[in-house]
Amino acid sequence: MPPSILLHTPHARRRLVAFLSSFLIVLITASAQAAPAPGEGVNPIPAPAPTSVSIPHKSVTGATLNFAPNEPHGQWLSEAHDWANTRYSDLNQINESNVARLKIAWTFSNNTKYGQEAAPLVVDGTMYIVTPWPDDLYALDLTQPGNPIKWKFEANPSPMGIGKACCDVVVRGLAFADGLIIYNLLDDHTVAVNAKTGKQVWRTKLGNVQSGETMTMSPFVVKDKVYVGDSGGEMGVRGWLACLDVKTGKELWRAYATGSDKDVKLGPDFHPYYKWMQGKDLGISSWPTDMWKHGAGASWGWVSYDPETNLIFYGTSNPGPRVPMQRPGDNLWTSTIFARDADTGEAKWAYQFTPHDQWDYDGVNENLLMDLPWQGKTRKVLMHFDRNAFAYVIDRTTGEVLSAQPFAYQNWSSGVDLKTGRPAVIPKMQPKPNIPLKVCPPDIGGKDWQPAAVSPRTGLVYADHFNLCMQVTDKVVGYIPSTPYDGMDMGRYPAPGGNIGEFMAWNPLTGKKVWAIPEKYLTMSGVLATAGDVVFYGTADGWFRAVDAWSGKVLWSQKLGSGIVGQPMTYLGPDGRQYIAITAGVGGASKVRADVRHIKEIQFPAGGDTTYVFSVDGASNSSSNSMMVTPGQGVETIPGPNPPSSPPPPDYDKHKATAPPPARRPQP
Amino acid sequence: MNMRLTHLLAALVSAALACAAYADSHGGTQAKPQATPPDHGSTAPLGQRAGTGDSAKVLSTPNPYEGSKQAARDGQQIYLAMNCTTCHAYDGSGNQGPDLTDTRWRYGGLPIQIFDSIHDGRPQGMPSWKDKLTDDQIWKLVTYVESFGGSFPASDWQHAPQGDTKGENESPEANGQFLTPVPGTVPPPSQATKPPQ
Repeated sequence: MPPSILLHTPHARRRLVAFLSSFLIVLITASAQAAPAPGEGVNPIPAPAPTSVSIPHKSVTGATLNFAPNEPHGQWLSEAHDWANTRYSDLNQINESNVARLKIAWTFSNNTKYGQEAAPLVVDGTMYIVTPWPDDLYALDLTQPGNPIKWKFEANPSPMGIGKACCDVVVRGLAFADGLIIYNLLDDHTVAVNAKTGKQVWRTKLGNVQSGETMTMSPFVVKDKVYVGDSGGEMGVRGWLACLDVKTGKELWRAYATGSDKDVKLGPDFHPYYKWMQGKDLGISSWPTDMWKHGAGASWGWVSYDPETNLIFYGTSNPGPRVPMQRPGDNLWTSTIFARDADTGEAKWAYQFTPHDQWDYDGVNENLLMDLPWQGKTRKVLMHFDRNAFAYVIDRTTGEVLSAQPFAYQNWSSGVDLKTGRPAVIPKMQPKPNIPLKVCPPDIGGKDWQPAAVSPRTGLVYADHFNLCMQVTDKVVGYIPSTPYDGMDMGRYPAPGGNIGEFMAWNPLTGKKVWAIPEKYLTMSGVLATAGDVVFYGTADGWFRAVDAWSGKVLWSQKLGSGIVGQPMTYLGPDGRQYIAITAGVGGASKVRADVRHIKEIQFPAGGDTTYVFSVDGASNSSSNSMMVTPGQGVETIPGPNPPSSPPPPDYDKHKATAPPPARRPQP
Repeated sequence: MNMRLTHLLAALVSAALACAAYADSHGGTQAKPQATPPDHGSTAPLGQRAGTGDSAKVLSTPNPYEGSKQAARDGQQIYLAMNCTTCHAYDGSGNQGPDLTDTRWRYGGLPIQIFDSIHDGRPQGMPSWKDKLTDDQIWKLVTYVESFGGSFPASDWQHAPQGDTKGENESPEANGQFLTPVPGTVPPPSQATKPPQ
C-alpha cells in the first residue's frame, strides 16, 4: 500500500515523504520462508512477492510462546507483559488499517528530570507510573475523564544514589502482585504499595547505597515471590539476586554472582553444559586473590520464568574493575546467565556469555522464552541479544548454546565455538592499560537493557540496537569504598554505516535479520509487539514509530517532547478502546559521556517526563471537541454538551478485541 | 517556631565549630575556614544571623595554592588515585557526578566551597575525604579542579554567589543594602588568610 493512502492531508503526506526519505528501509536478508511484504513508492524496498490474499500468513519460524500470566485480557501487569518476556499483546484494534490515524489522546507529566525507562502498568482500570529518582509512584484513574490522580506515593529515597548510579538515576519499572505494586528504590530498598490505597505495605533494605550499590531494575514476580537485584558494576559491588516474599517483603534467599559455590547457590543440582564452567568455587578461583569480593556481576536487567521447569533466568553484569589486566581469569560468574529454581534459588545451569569481559559487556539483557522447531524437533529455548553483539539461542533446560550469531557491528570476536561455548577473542582487540584502543561495540554493547519483543503471529523477534564503537583507554585503579572501581576512559563513535541506531526483525531460527530500519540517531527503547501486526519502538531523539511486523514498513511516526529510552505498552481502556502508551524522557546510559557522544548532526535532546497515550484519532475520555467540564468539580449541572467520552472509532466493532485478527497478509 | 529555628541554628553553628576544631586537631592547614560567626547578641533578629554578611569571611578564603602549577599537577595525581575520574570524568566534564569544567556549581564554585565539598562530602553521593586526605592534599585537589577553568576566584566571593559574570551590566539599584557588611565584622578579601610561603 502506498504510504500516501495512510495519510489524511497533503501536508501530512509531505511530512511523511520528507521523513521517509531521510532513511532507508533495507531488506537485509529474507529467508525463503520469510517472504516479507515490503512497500513501494517513496519507500525504497523491493516489491512483495505476489501471493494470494486469501492464504492466511504463516509464522516465519513457527515459534510458540506461553503468555501466562496475562489474565484478564487487555491489562499490562508487568514490564515484560508475561513470564516469558514476550512484550506481546493480543490486542488488535490498532492494526495496519488504522495505525496511521494514531493521535495523542492524553498525556501525563511526572515532574522529574532523569531518564524515563519504565513502562506504565494498567491494572483494573488504573494506570501506575513510576518516576526516576525520587521514585514517586502515581495511580491514575482511567475510568474518569482526564484520568485524574487517584493517589501519589512518595517513597523519599536517599539522594545519595544520585551520584552513585553509573547511568542516570533510573528505575526500569513496576511489578504487580497480590494487590501490591512493587518496585525498587535507588537507595537499595524494595517497596510494596497497596494498589488501591497507595499506602506502603512493606519496605525492605537490601543494600547500602553509600557503598556505591544502587537498585534500578524492575522487580519480577512469580506467584508469591518477587526477585530483585542490584546495580553498580562500576562501583566495586558484589552482585546478587534476591528473592523476597511478596506478602511481607522478607528476604527468602540471595544468590551472589561471585564467591563460593555456597554463596552463588551452586549445589548438587548445578550442571553447566560446558566443561570449563564445571568445578568447585570457580567464583573464587577464576579471580586473582580476593578480587571476587568487589568483582561486580550485578543483576540489574530482566528475569524470565518457565512454569514447566520452574526455572527463572537472569543475567549478571560486567566484572569489576573494568580494567581486564587487573583481573586475569574468567571472572566467573560475571557476564553470565543463570537458570535457577524459582523457589530455592539453587542454580540448574549457567552460561558465561563473555568470559573475562574486557569491554563492559554485561549479560543482563532480557531472555525471551519460546519453543522453536529446531532441526526437526521442538526445542525449549531462550533467545538473548547480548551486549557483546551476539544473539544467542540457548536450550533453556540444559544451557546448551544452539546458535550465536552477531546482530550488530562488532570486531572483538571471530565467533562463538558451539562445541565449547566460548567466544574466540581477537587478540589485538584486548585493551592494555594506557594504550588507546578502538573496538566495537562500545560499553553499552550491541544492544543494552532495552528489551525486545516477539510475536507468535510472525514468529520473529523485534529489537532495537546500536551501531557504535568506542575508543577506550584503560587506567589501573584501586578499590576505595564508596568510590567507583572502574578505570575505563571511554568515548563512543559511530560504527560503519553512518547511522548509530537500528530497529530490526530477527529470525531466531536462521540467526539473521529479516529486515532492518537504520536510524540516524540512537535507538534505546523497549519494543512492543501486538496482534494487530504492528510493532512499536522509539528513538533517543524522540521519534515514536509503528512498523508493519511483516515487512518493516514504517506505518506511522510521531515526534515527542524528548528522546525515548522507555518501554511502550498497550492496554484496553475501560471504554473498550485500545491505547498505546510510552513515556518520553531521554537519559540513562544514552547520556553517559555527553561531550563525545555519537554524532554531530543531531543534538542530544533535553530531558522530559511525559507519558504519551495514543489512540485511533486521539479519541478518549480525555479529549473531545465538545467536552466542557470535568465531572467531580461541582459544575456537572451546567447545561450543554458534556459527553463523558467521545464515541469509539467507526471501525471499533470491526476490530473488537475479541474478534479474530483480520487476515490481511500477504497482499499483492 | 522561632524557638525551634533558634535551636536549629545553634545546633548548626556548634556543628560547624566542631568541624573546624576537628580539622585543626588533625593537622588542618593555615587556611582552614573560621566558622565563628560575629556576635550580634542574643536579641539579634534571626535574619541578621542567616544573612550573607555572616558568611563573607568564610567565602573569601583563598586557596593557599592559588595558581600553583605544581599543586595542580599534584592534585591531578590525587584526582586519578582517588577514583574521582569515573564520576567527574578524566577531563572533569562529569558523568554521574557534576561537570567541574563549567560554571554551574551545586554547592558553590569558590575555592573554600570546593574544599568543603571534598572535605565533608555532599548528600548526592560525593564521599567525604576528610579521613583519607590531609587538608593540604585537598587544597591541591582544589587547585586541580580550579585548573579546569569553571570555578571562581576567592576575590569573587561577593559576585560569584549572585551569578555575576564579566562584562555584564549592573543596575545602580542591583545590590541595595543587601551586601553592606555589618561594620567591623567582615575583613576585606585582601586581608584573608595568606597562602603559605
